Amino acid sequence: MATVYPDDNRNARTGMLAFGLALAMLGLGYAAVPLYEMFCRVTGFGGTTQIASESDAAIAERLAGSGATRDISVRFDASTARSVPWTFKPVQNTDTVQIGVRDMAFYTAKNNSNIPITGTATFNVEPEYAGVYFNKIQCFCFTEQTLQPGQEVRMPVLYYIDPAILQDENADGLEQITLSYTFHRKIEEES
Amino acid sequence: MATTAEGFDAHTDDHTHHGADHKPSFFARWFMSTNHKDIGTMYLIFAIVAGIIGGAISGIMRAELAAPGIQYLGWWVNFMGGEASFDANLHMWNVFITAHGLIMVFFMVMPAMIGGFGNWFVPLMIGAPDMAFPRMNNISFWLTVVGFISLLFSLFVPGGTGLGAGTGWTVYAPLSTSGSVGPAVDFAIFSLHLAGAGSILGATNFITTIFNMRAPGMTLHKMPLFVWSMLVTAFLLLLALPVLAAAITMLITDRNFGTTFFDAAGGGDPVLYQHLFWFFGHPEVYIMILPGFGMVSQIVATFSRKPVFGYLGMAYAMVAIGVVGFIVWAHHMYTVGLDVNTKMYFTAATMVIAVPTGVKIFSWIATMWGGSLEFKSPMVWALGFIFLFTVGGVTGVVLANGGIDDNLHDTYYVVAHFHYVLSMGAVFSLFAGFYYWFPKMSGRWHSEFLSHVHFWMFFIGVNVIFFPMHFLGMQGMPRRYPDYTVAYTYWNEIASYGYLIMAGSMLVFFVNIGYALVAGRRAESNTWGPGATTLEWTLSSPPPYHQFETLPVIEEHHDYHDHMSTPAKV
Amino acid sequence: MESTFVMTIPVRFAAHFRFLALLFAAVILAFAGQSAVAQDESLVPEAGTVGEIEPAASAEVADSDAVAPGADTDGYEYYGPEMIKGQPTSFEDDAGASMTFQDQYSQNGEYAQWMHDSILMPIITIICLFVLGLLLWVVAKYRRREGVEPSRTTHNTLIEVVWTVVPVIILVAIAIPSITLLARQYETPPADAITIKATGYQWYWGYTYPDNGGFEIISNMLSEEEALTRGLPGQLAVDNRMVVPVGVPLRIQTTGADVIHSFAVPSLWFKLDAVPGRLNERLLTIDEPGIYYGQCSELCGARHAYMPIAIEAVPMARYRQWIAAQGGTFGDEEEAAPEAAPLQQPESALPDAPGAGEPATVDTAPDGAAALDTQ
Repeated sequence: MATVYPDDNRNARTGMLAFGLALAMLGLGYAAVPLYEMFCRVTGFGGTTQIASESDAAIAERLAGSGATRDISVRFDASTARSVPWTFKPVQNTDTVQIGVRDMAFYTAKNNSNIPITGTATFNVEPEYAGVYFNKIQCFCFTEQTLQPGQEVRMPVLYYIDPAILQDENADGLEQITLSYTFHRKIEEES
Repeated sequence: MATTAEGFDAHTDDHTHHGADHKPSFFARWFMSTNHKDIGTMYLIFAIVAGIIGGAISGIMRAELAAPGIQYLGWWVNFMGGEASFDANLHMWNVFITAHGLIMVFFMVMPAMIGGFGNWFVPLMIGAPDMAFPRMNNISFWLTVVGFISLLFSLFVPGGTGLGAGTGWTVYAPLSTSGSVGPAVDFAIFSLHLAGAGSILGATNFITTIFNMRAPGMTLHKMPLFVWSMLVTAFLLLLALPVLAAAITMLITDRNFGTTFFDAAGGGDPVLYQHLFWFFGHPEVYIMILPGFGMVSQIVATFSRKPVFGYLGMAYAMVAIGVVGFIVWAHHMYTVGLDVNTKMYFTAATMVIAVPTGVKIFSWIATMWGGSLEFKSPMVWALGFIFLFTVGGVTGVVLANGGIDDNLHDTYYVVAHFHYVLSMGAVFSLFAGFYYWFPKMSGRWHSEFLSHVHFWMFFIGVNVIFFPMHFLGMQGMPRRYPDYTVAYTYWNEIASYGYLIMAGSMLVFFVNIGYALVAGRRAESNTWGPGATTLEWTLSSPPPYHQFETLPVIEEHHDYHDHMSTPAKV
Repeated sequence: MESTFVMTIPVRFAAHFRFLALLFAAVILAFAGQSAVAQDESLVPEAGTVGEIEPAASAEVADSDAVAPGADTDGYEYYGPEMIKGQPTSFEDDAGASMTFQDQYSQNGEYAQWMHDSILMPIITIICLFVLGLLLWVVAKYRRREGVEPSRTTHNTLIEVVWTVVPVIILVAIAIPSITLLARQYETPPADAITIKATGYQWYWGYTYPDNGGFEIISNMLSEEEALTRGLPGQLAVDNRMVVPVGVPLRIQTTGADVIHSFAVPSLWFKLDAVPGRLNERLLTIDEPGIYYGQCSELCGARHAYMPIAIEAVPMARYRQWIAAQGGTFGDEEEAAPEAAPLQQPESALPDAPGAGEPATVDTAPDGAAALDTQ
């Protein structure tokens, strides 16, 4: 039987190559998690916002001051997952800002339950292509928030919109960007 | 006939010497089998069993949908060992749609196409004595069986609002994670792991076999198209299934070990699961249909007594479909909140697939053009395939348009579309292949008359089931609904009648097999005459337990696909 | 190729068409070689012009005498069944209409329907009939006959190029209106668009009006009997509709509170998933006053089929009336937003449907175990 096989070593080699390909794809499957996150962060895919430093903001502001800029409206949205018994809402529904100039917005959150609850916020902007231009300098979403029973807090977001958006054809008629936050209960607490 | 024997110079006589047909004992033969034909047979029987269960579930669903309201689900909850209640009954429905989808995809179509016909005929067609890794072949099969048992087991353990996994075959997070408490979803996912592992091993086996074990003279460009289709399919499996494995493993850890890959609460993204699932899921639909393409090519050529038209175009169209299949996945996610450029890209890329698919359809017709057509059972199924696959294909072009899909997404139009390409495309090619090779595999003739009856009943049945679903979808009826507003009643009722016709045709099919096995006429070596030119027809029916102990030689000057024309090289 | 697109399509779509042209150029090269670059200008003109349909004249609203039971009658009357515009048609009522799309009441919907009915449908019908015709022809013409030898042709370069290039041309013809449609659907709402946020819960919808005080309307399905009593379609009728103004741009936002849901209204050609942890947003303008039904379109658990969507589109004056009746405010009125959610009566006949205005609590957290307990 074995005699008719062309070459057992050759089969083993091809088989291992094929199997190695499958393993590589398996690795790629897991790697997709950090890669996707990185992709979203870099390209703003899915409306992912950017993180900027004070100096980035200063540069943007100078840039905005030097060239033609325009105003744009920013809408603030707040949601809570069902497992978070908080009242979470923006202090102002919308704000008009000059592109490139930093602005501070506030949200309030109140814990309506009788136990302390820790939440983390996810966020995105709409329209999605604006994500890459939406820069946050400070945000309550960078860290976890713990609210004691009945406690109410004001939470700031310091942000600006990158003047590069003025060059984006997609954004020509864009009048308003929605910034959305959703509070989720920290996983460990849920059970 | 003369042409064939001459062309292949296969040493038929050699197979009759003693020893070639020596078979091991029953247990060793069927449970520890390393013989590709035995494993192929087991896969086919397994697929038929799974198909009966999956088909019965669709019967339950069509019965429930025949009229508005919830009629039978409570009965089924009790039957399955649960306790009927408002939510448990509705959950039962979700379990049915999930089980139907998973069974038909992973335990019926794939085992039949790849495990069954692939195992049986790839070695025979390339002149190999067996698969490259016969013992691994056995492992693949039993992994699939254990996977199926795991899926069936999931039906009887808690899965949230009732027994069983009610997540849909797509197992979207967070419904499948935080939305489904209980081990049912874990067992369902585990079953996919097992079936997936079996398929990856199988794919490795096929690739090695096809690359290394072709008979002397059979170059890649002389391989029968069915072997080409299996090669492309094996690569798709190898590249796509590990991604699914990774995604569902992350689901398992999200469910059980506190990770948050797809849980927004921990910084994960449920949309990422959809990207990963469909990165697998779209190639998966080609995995299910490409072997069918291959079979139809063989059959059309055989019964036209003509070589396949545009052989190279046919082979590379499959390669093109396979490649493009990997870059169109997000057309399953048009409504998830993609930005405009992404949606435009996936719209355009998806439509591109219509081009190589069109090449195949027209090449089949061109193969028949000028031929000498004989309408034996495999041929009528192949003809049915070509037409119905076209119908399913063009609705795919409609759905490819991201803007149009905003209305049709997740409606019965989509259900109609993928059943036209799978329940009619893949299944018609399965029956075509079954009738084509049944005499070869069993050594017995089925009844051509019953096969034709089966065809016409099945043809009418599935069209009556699925054509009205286009109407329901355009009217807005969403998928995965056990109940609907009265306006949808008429077409649902019609579709349910269609199921009865289809089910009746399956009875004819089983009678036909039974008849063939008990009283069927003995089959010759070449059952289909001069049109059947591939190597399996040079062997006895059924082929000897070990074949090609002396390798057949494909003659140098012989160009397999042009063997009836001038020896011009392709 | 590029210039023809730009001439006929509004300038702001030009970028998309350049992208498309490039993509198809690549395809053509890949499949058919350089010779295949088709320039069919006749395909282009229709695309940019059709669909520029004026908004339907605001039909005079026939105020129904019948006050919908359970409606908050504080100065606002809900539409009765005679105002239902977007719902499926039964075969018995109109066989033809039961086999196609629901009538469309938004401009994008009309454009999309035009594209389907006038471009896609004829093309796919012709393709199917063409293939069927060819099959019947070969079946009839080339059936086996004594003494007739089969031909030996296996190649014909011309015909192979034709059946590659012609589909490419057809696909380009489809892609032009398709890309136009997408560009329209993705036009961004103006800053003053009325914003409504639809939140998907297991298994009901909540509609929040952030510009009008931020109250949330909880919308549950009516029982079959209750719906029939009111003359409304079963499994589509809800206790509290999502009331919106007609003829003005709406910013529809969706999000999911527990699992993924999908906010879908077939007669407005609108479907947008409600994904937990993210907000999706799309522009919608409804042409006519009326009631438009839809259903959740992403599998979300047991009662997936029982969380319909009902939009009541009304003239602006009535909308303001309704907002006032809910205790809401308008930006141009200097009023304080009400702190609490407005009062509504939950009416769903389903077991443990959520109470209106009840804040989400730990008890209503979406875990299956809790749902099991209620049985």
